[in-house]
Amino acid sequence: MDASSFQPLKPAWFHILLALADGAQHGFAIRSRVEERSGGSVKLWPATLYGSIRELSEAGVIEALEGEDDPDDDQRRRYYRLTKLGRELLRAEADRLQGLVDAARGSRALQRT
Amino acid sequence: MSGPEARTTRWISNAYRALARALPRSYRDTYLRESLHDLNALLERERAGGNAGRELWVGLRALADLLQRIPREWLARGAALGRPTTMGEGFMNALNEIRLAARALSRRFGFTTVAVLTLALGIGANVAIFAVVDAVLIRPLNYPESQRIVTIMHHAPGLDLPDLENSEGMLRFYWQNAPFLSSLAGYDTRDANLTGGDRPARVQTVRVTPQIFDVLRTQPALGRPFNEADAAEGAAPVAILTHAEWVDRFGSDPGILGKTIALDGVTTEIVGVMPDHFSFPDPDAAALLPMHVDPNGEFGTFGIGGVARLGPGITLAQAQQRIQELQARLPSFFPNDEVTPEFMKSSGWAVSVEPLRKRMVGDVASALWIILGTVGFVLLIACANVANLFLVRAESRQKELAIRSAMGAGRARLASLFLSESVLLGLGGGAVGVALAWAGVRLLVSFGPHDLPRLNEVGVDGRVLLFAAALSVLAGFAFGALPLLRRSAFGVATALRDQGRGSTSGRERHRTRNVLVAGQIALALVLVVGSGLMVRSFQHLRSVDAGFDPTDVLTVGLSLGDVESLPAAARFYQRAADQAAALPGVKSVGVTTAIPLGTGNWNGGSFHIESKPRADDQLPPVAMYKAVGPGYFEAMGMTLEKGRTVKRSDIEDGVPVAWVNETFARTLLDGDALGQHIRWSNGADSSWAEVVGVVKDVREFGLTQPVRAVAYLPLVTGGWGFPHLNVGFLVVKADRDPSALVQPIRDIIRRLDPNVPVTTTSTMGEVVSRSMRQTSFTLVLLGIATLVALFLGAIGLFGVVSYVVSQRTREIGVRVALGARPDDIRTMVLRQGVGVYVTGALVGLAGAFALTRLMGTLLFQVSATDPVSFVLAPTVLLAVAAFATWLPARRAARVDPMEALRAE
Repeated sequence: MDASSFQPLKPAWFHILLALADGAQHGFAIRSRVEERSGGSVKLWPATLYGSIRELSEAGVIEALEGEDDPDDDQRRRYYRLTKLGRELLRAEADRLQGLVDAARGSRALQRT
Repeated sequence: MSGPEARTTRWISNAYRALARALPRSYRDTYLRESLHDLNALLERERAGGNAGRELWVGLRALADLLQRIPREWLARGAALGRPTTMGEGFMNALNEIRLAARALSRRFGFTTVAVLTLALGIGANVAIFAVVDAVLIRPLNYPESQRIVTIMHHAPGLDLPDLENSEGMLRFYWQNAPFLSSLAGYDTRDANLTGGDRPARVQTVRVTPQIFDVLRTQPALGRPFNEADAAEGAAPVAILTHAEWVDRFGSDPGILGKTIALDGVTTEIVGVMPDHFSFPDPDAAALLPMHVDPNGEFGTFGIGGVARLGPGITLAQAQQRIQELQARLPSFFPNDEVTPEFMKSSGWAVSVEPLRKRMVGDVASALWIILGTVGFVLLIACANVANLFLVRAESRQKELAIRSAMGAGRARLASLFLSESVLLGLGGGAVGVALAWAGVRLLVSFGPHDLPRLNEVGVDGRVLLFAAALSVLAGFAFGALPLLRRSAFGVATALRDQGRGSTSGRERHRTRNVLVAGQIALALVLVVGSGLMVRSFQHLRSVDAGFDPTDVLTVGLSLGDVESLPAAARFYQRAADQAAALPGVKSVGVTTAIPLGTGNWNGGSFHIESKPRADDQLPPVAMYKAVGPGYFEAMGMTLEKGRTVKRSDIEDGVPVAWVNETFARTLLDGDALGQHIRWSNGADSSWAEVVGVVKDVREFGLTQPVRAVAYLPLVTGGWGFPHLNVGFLVVKADRDPSALVQPIRDIIRRLDPNVPVTTTSTMGEVVSRSMRQTSFTLVLLGIATLVALFLGAIGLFGVVSYVVSQRTREIGVRVALGARPDDIRTMVLRQGVGVYVTGALVGLAGAFALTRLMGTLLFQVSATDPVSFVLAPTVLLAVAAFATWLPARRAARVDPMEALRAE
């Protein structure tokens, strides 16, 4: 599957993928990182978070780690990580956003003096 | 965890858990535990911050998030299973399903044709009968709040007068004493000669008191209603035309008001035209005339219909109770009459109010409901047949289903596949059925009994179409769901196993089919028993001794309109009779005022017997009489038991004489009739008439009606004349088919007086069959339904046995190869059919026993559990079942073992 078929990415999906960019995380950690990174403006409530996780898993962008739970952590936690497709998607989306930002910078209306 | 804060957490987390039940199971299994864990962590964090309000806010926010997510999870799940994700897609999917179903059906042309025709038969019959039931029994009459319109009837069983209408006195009584009726009107119908124009016509006029417009809440569409002045004695004659009459005879003349017509020679001004939907008391009415009620009217003669509107807030039951209580005031209201408390007690005086619609519909209701039930049975049988076809198809599609299910089609998907096919078939059958029903309704309307009330309102309209659509879909679901009820339809393993050889798992599906066919046999048997009872009733009706001989007898109705002189009227009739008697082929001719089983004028009431004077407090005997002329008894083929027949001198001068029937002689004159003198109290003349003859009982009032005591008086005698000589009938006995006599007799009448219309010409044979029409109508409909049921049932049985034989061909081949003789094979197959038949027949007999008692009022001299019908019906059915089983059994017996084995 081609990563570009998912673009443009929903903001919630982008944030989740970004949260997983540094390594596998469990759901609650994903939520905390997204909230932190967005300065509290993006809050993933549980149903939306796990609904998105389900959608991303079904799309093959992320996957659950079976049996590789952190022994120190709570038994109930399941960890998710990016697949290869997920990594490509994240990069492609970042590039696309970069392009948008560049374009905006080039626009006179948005130039800061 | 404790304390108030923890309680909030618990409350929210419980609510979350409860709401999460609405999520698809797969989601819950995977993510719910973690979701709850996260939620608790969030709540705990807020609580640790010491802000209880925020904790609650976070909880509610999470719940709202869950709520908005539920539909998306279901849609997502559906999409994964090939379910629609949006409305548009859902619609497209449905279309797709229908297209698939249509394609599958069109590929199996034979199956589809048989199924659609079978269903069309069942649905069509139901729709046609429903159209009649709806128009006659269900739809309210065409007047505002028509359910509050009631009729008033009186009853005096002690006087042998079970039903009496109202009298002028009773109308007065209720007008003054019944505040619970917001209005009450009297009416009666009488035929009148409408003259002017090219040909005199006989039309039905309805005399009404002016209150009728309030009772029916219907005003003339043109002109004005009647007022009190119109109904006063000696008022100028006015009339209101019905819409049909205005259209037919006056070409919808908009300037009709103020014009005049001649009714029975009386010049009458037209003051109004009623609206189209008005048909009171029946659609035959041509004109309304004001009815004058004598303000001093006595208890008197009960010949006036009473129709009333219930007062505001008064229920039917309250009105019934209060009007019955009112009757106690009758003696004081009529101080000069015979209405004493003793009279009321001994006559069993009673009054009843019932809805006008019920009165109009009368006895027909039970016949119609039974016929509707009957065709309902036919539809069930038809559905069972189609269900059987479906089962066979479902089996032949096991492989297809197994593959679909292996490819991920769920139960729901497969079910929708089946149901869309069956509902499509149902709708196809419904469409053809509506066409059949449309034709059937037209047949019913033209050939049904003319006296079926409201027949003119019957038709296939929106309500009927809606019923047809609902019935079609319902039928489609009914037989389509059946294959789904069997789990094996979905089991891949079962399907594959069933394809294997020597399988025994087919037994279950045979059982389903056998149950269906047994059910069909049971239903068909109920119908056969019902038809049998109707046939037996009809036989009894045919064999009733009517007391006259209808062979080659013609009756010709004449109408004189206003009769000024009774002797002159009698002379006119007799002159017509004499001239008719001179026609070639005529054996005898007699005049009467009423024909048996038919129409005409009777008179009568209480009378006196000279030899048995009665005390004042004793109830007088009651009897009816009609008038006859010389030759009547002979022309009608009646039997004179004693005395002499009518002589010409009896109607010319003569001393007053009378004839009585056997019942009269036996019950009222102690069997010793000849020479007795009798006198009717309300006769125009009070002279005593001598009984000079006794005739055999004639069923004057209907073949199913018990014979009553009646007398026959000469048309005129001495100074006395029968009071209602405005109508007379020539009864003509011919020596061959009398229909050739109609025109010569019309010519005779025209020569005698061109203003006298011939109102009816019918043979007595026609009169007799008309009187049996309700029974024969019910019989014919029930018979048709039963034949269809038998036919469908036979096809069902034949289909099942044939199918089983075809499935067992290999087994039969092996048996034959091992030495079984054709007889053994035939017996083996027949035994299967017999088992199904016996089960069905037992259930059917029990059902018939329970259901035929509903037919009570339709049966004549036959008990609802008539042993003959109950023995004959299963025999007939057995013959049909044996034939349906024998055909496949014969084929089985001819199985060639080599071929059977090679075929595998």
